[in-house]
Amino acid sequence: MKKTVDVSIPLGPMHPCWKEPVRLKCETAGERVLRAEVELGYMKKGIERIMQGRPWQEVMFLAERVCGICSVIHNMVFIETMEKISDIAVPPRAAYLRVVANELDRIASHILANFSYCYTIEHETLAMYLLNTRETVLDNLERLTGSRINTAYMIPGGVRFDLLPEDAAAMLADLREVEEEMKRHVRIFETGPLIALRSKGIGFMSREDAIRAHTVGPTARASGVEDCDLRLHHPTYRELGFTQITRTEGDNFARVMVRFQEVFQSIDLIRKCIDTLPEGPIRGGGFCKAGETSYAGEAPRGELTYTIRTDDYGRVVDIAIRTPSIMNIEACAHAMIKDAASIADVTSTFISSDPCIACNER
Amino acid sequence: MKFLYEKDLRQMKYTILTSTKHDETVRAIAERLGMSDAKLRMMLIRRFDMSLLENLESRWQMGQRHANDGDPVAEELGYELFTRFIPLVDTETMQTIYTDTQAMTQEIPFEEAIARGRARIREAILS
Repeated sequence: MKKTVDVSIPLGPMHPCWKEPVRLKCETAGERVLRAEVELGYMKKGIERIMQGRPWQEVMFLAERVCGICSVIHNMVFIETMEKISDIAVPPRAAYLRVVANELDRIASHILANFSYCYTIEHETLAMYLLNTRETVLDNLERLTGSRINTAYMIPGGVRFDLLPEDAAAMLADLREVEEEMKRHVRIFETGPLIALRSKGIGFMSREDAIRAHTVGPTARASGVEDCDLRLHHPTYRELGFTQITRTEGDNFARVMVRFQEVFQSIDLIRKCIDTLPEGPIRGGGFCKAGETSYAGEAPRGELTYTIRTDDYGRVVDIAIRTPSIMNIEACAHAMIKDAASIADVTSTFISSDPCIACNER
Repeated sequence: MKFLYEKDLRQMKYTILTSTKHDETVRAIAERLGMSDAKLRMMLIRRFDMSLLENLESRWQMGQRHANDGDPVAEELGYELFTRFIPLVDTETMQTIYTDTQAMTQEIPFEEAIARGRARIREAILS
């Protein structure tokens, strides 16, 4: 008879599948995972403390360095919070250009997350195809903002650069290419029998568990949580007729598929923005004032909240950042991994929730 | 089993709990339970892992919004709130406390029964 032993298996902090250092302690009975604990603290930046007392012009650059993968949305939410505090209006053209930059960043982030998942389940071919496609997306982000990662594209009252007609045409051509490639990648993912074995029914999280842990973003949407995409309430996205993508399976497959579907949705949103790009200035101007507010935007991983208090000179007196990974990693460890049938599924389940440790350890 | 590379996480957990938002949340939970902030902080550090502590604020907010116990005794005791949203008490213990408190409401005034129920929850948390 096979011997069953109770073992505590530590995964990480340095693990070939993790992009960033984090330690998962799994208590197992044979192959079954009884519970998992997350250990953080390997890359704490203390960025909120660094931001305190600095003028917004400096904090703007620090904000997008909270996370390198979704830096655009950190920039956008920080700037939109400052605009809310100071009653600064954004010209329509700039608002549309912000959506373009944000959606390009979302596509890049989702493709990277799905790359990591495919790499973790040992489908390296698809993983490399995805990375190759991501390069085109990052090239277009550079075309618009002048930079691939830390763009600092948005400023209070507008954006820094306009989109020239020839650049817009080149971007649309590239997006057509990305869309075609992504259709092929999705087909590979959807129809791969081995992918299904490693993904379908694995890492299940119920809708109730998702709500309890305040899971956000594609992780929540894959578990059937409705009205959890903040783009539904953003004025520019509402103008563009945005609708939320939801799936109900709640497993690894659903989380990856939601991200794939959102890539196509983002491409459509960028097309709509470019086709209906309003004429006019890209900067409205304005001064940052004293005040305090909390504002949230939809990052690629979900709800990102900035709570900021400023003084008369536009200095950030106090700031608190709540990133989506805080909720998603917790839900992953305590709902998806708990009671997993096999320890071999822990890494892929963890990666399927698109954990960002840099965001978690601000 | 202790590994050589096991770290003492108490200091880092304490740092999480004393950030602005988390501190507000801990104070609100302690007030709801009628216990001191320091004792609650100590139990949270002992029982919860770092990710659960990081997510404490969101779970508390969701608990306030979605914990629906259906009857006033469970509501006052925070049956669902302190078992499913913020897992400070295990479900069996909470069920026992709830059943006993429910029975007590027939014999003594409602507020007194709830106060006794809460005292038992505090005991369960600190045990």
